[in-house]
Amino acid sequence: MVKYIDRESDAQLMQRIGWHQVKAVEDRAMRRNFWKAFAFMAPALFLVCGLLLMPVVYNIYFSFTKWKKFAGLDEFAGFSNYAKLPGNPYFDEAFYNTAIWVAASVVFPLAIGFGLAVFLRAVPFGNMFKNIIFLPRILAPTAVAVIWFHVYAPHGVINSLLAMVVGRPVDIGWLYQDNTVTPAIIATFVWQSVGLVMVLVLLGLSAIPKDPLEAARIDGATNGQVFRHIVMPLLMPTLVVVTILSVLSGFTTFDLLWVMGVGYPGQRTLSLAVYMYFESFQKGSWAFGSAIAVVIGIVVFSVTWIQTLMQSRVDKMTR
Amino acid sequence: MNFKTKLLSLAFAGFMSASVVSVYAAEVTLVHDKPFWGEALQKVVDAATKSIGETMKQNAYSPPEQFKAYMQSSIAANDPPDIFTWWTGGVYEELIKSGQIAELDDIWAEMIKSGEFSEGVRDFYKVGDHIYGVPLHLSRWVVLYNKANYTKVGISEPKTWAEFLSNAEKLKAAGITPFVATTQDGWRGFIWFEEIMLRTNPEAYMGLHSGKIAYDSEPVRNAFKIWVDWYAKGYFTDPRSTEEVADFAKNKGSMNLIGDWAVGLVEKAGMKPGTDFGAFIMPNMDAALPSSAILEGSPIMLSKKGLAKPEVVKALKYFVSVEGANVWATASGNGLGNSKANPPNDVVNKINQDVAAMKTVSYPRWWEAVPADLQGEIVAELNRFMLSPTMETAESVMATTQKLNAAYWADKQ
Repeated sequence: MVKYIDRESDAQLMQRIGWHQVKAVEDRAMRRNFWKAFAFMAPALFLVCGLLLMPVVYNIYFSFTKWKKFAGLDEFAGFSNYAKLPGNPYFDEAFYNTAIWVAASVVFPLAIGFGLAVFLRAVPFGNMFKNIIFLPRILAPTAVAVIWFHVYAPHGVINSLLAMVVGRPVDIGWLYQDNTVTPAIIATFVWQSVGLVMVLVLLGLSAIPKDPLEAARIDGATNGQVFRHIVMPLLMPTLVVVTILSVLSGFTTFDLLWVMGVGYPGQRTLSLAVYMYFESFQKGSWAFGSAIAVVIGIVVFSVTWIQTLMQSRVDKMTR
Repeated sequence: MNFKTKLLSLAFAGFMSASVVSVYAAEVTLVHDKPFWGEALQKVVDAATKSIGETMKQNAYSPPEQFKAYMQSSIAANDPPDIFTWWTGGVYEELIKSGQIAELDDIWAEMIKSGEFSEGVRDFYKVGDHIYGVPLHLSRWVVLYNKANYTKVGISEPKTWAEFLSNAEKLKAAGITPFVATTQDGWRGFIWFEEIMLRTNPEAYMGLHSGKIAYDSEPVRNAFKIWVDWYAKGYFTDPRSTEEVADFAKNKGSMNLIGDWAVGLVEKAGMKPGTDFGAFIMPNMDAALPSSAILEGSPIMLSKKGLAKPEVVKALKYFVSVEGANVWATASGNGLGNSKANPPNDVVNKINQDVAAMKTVSYPRWWEAVPADLQGEIVAELNRFMLSPTMETAESVMATTQKLNAAYWADKQ
């Protein structure tokens, strides 16, 4: 018997145990499962392809045409729309302003959100404050912009409060002055986004295991040392995610700038997203606007890619 | 199947048939960008539905850039709406060049033959040899004034430039701000610039639109000097206000330079036309120049496929008929140039009489006349001046706008 088995080939073995029949059954099951899985995924696939990928492909296509207002969609323009970007004063201004926005939208929400998360873990009624601070996040950005447009109005809340403090009428046009319009809109952005940062940091903090903290304290580490050498490294993956989200929202912020900057005629509120909207929707330069959109996409993709690389490094370090 | 079941089945079948018929019944939808006239337009489409036996609806896109985007993409897809509103000037000509807009020459021939419309109104919508629009409204830009303030200060409607200035001075001396002017919604910056240019040098005003006159030329500089002077004297309300009509209705400013389409809006804000406020055409600086006023007239247009549908043509004809014009006038306070229709209100009626008596010449509005590509940037600069109305800002605004203007016309050559 043993001898027989030794001489048995793989094919004979498979034949003997009925492997082909089993495989056929498994294949049939897999095919059936594939179509089932496909049916479940179909709505999501349809939405992603129809509402995300197709518009992106179309947008790239438009950027190589001469489409302006009612004509030019069928005329190929090569890279001429892209060639118009470098040296264009509006594009340069928009790029500079966007860089400021991205920096501000990372630094302020992260610093304040982090501080609030650490502080609110230790205070009574912390949950209530967390909810209040998170509340602006659930409002639509356009609604936030309209509310703050009136808060900053010449006869709005801010000037009224300042008037009470200084004891005379205050008439600062927060959204109408070169030196105040950007800080005012950034403050609104921080007000809305700090809640999400705080919640993410709180989640990160609560995921930190207690053992290393206790061990460090037993070894005589001070609070500062524990925070610097244990909490921060373990929190780093969360902070990288928060930074990526902040950078993305900084690049794509449009609603606040468009609504709150409507009365301000200068270019301080001109971000890349606003410039793209202006060229496309107001001037009807669809092809040129599409080229700006592609540039925004490439910049955001590159920055996010670098951050993702950083995240994987951090993951390796903390593993 | 018992009798009750049969009856229910029949009723259900009837209901379903009626639903299907109603889904596929011809429907005319007026597409526009004027939600502030939504209620008034609804009254007209309801009246049209009753009168012509076709279901008429309206669909508003707002803000205007969203409407423009919709039109541009629908033209690109060869599927423009059947009937829609638009603007005159450069954007009108651009749309017509798409080749998808219907010529309305035959409809206009009927309108002229009926004696309801003049050839002058028709020619306002003419491009080349054809006419492509009928009026949604025809509005002159006039000065609305608060009658109580005029009586209080002892002044009357000015007939000359000197009287106009004197009125402003007297109002200011009485502690009343003479003029309402805001940068609201980002487009209003051109209003006073346009008017001062027209009053001081109408030829130069027209030259701005064709690139013959530079934005940093002497006529423009003179207009800015006057504007700066009036700001320095405190003649204008806060440019940061976002409630132009309400500012006038609440008496924050005594005179509001605006299209007479705003009469209905001021009435809605609480002032009675003719009783609480009146209107006059601003006099020219040089009395020897003929009386003039800015004329604005948004058109209703048809696409070629719209013209091929009898129900769409019926709806268009209803809008400009005496009955349609009367419904529209009562609902919105706007006239559309039908001479047999009732004037929309006392103020517009008075302006129409003034225009006839003074043989007022019409000029296009800066917004429609300026090349569409320059519109946004230049008006932003004019807004910038209003927020810092000094000669220094004026010089900077003139330099920037002329740079844009020169680049545009150089590109055209």
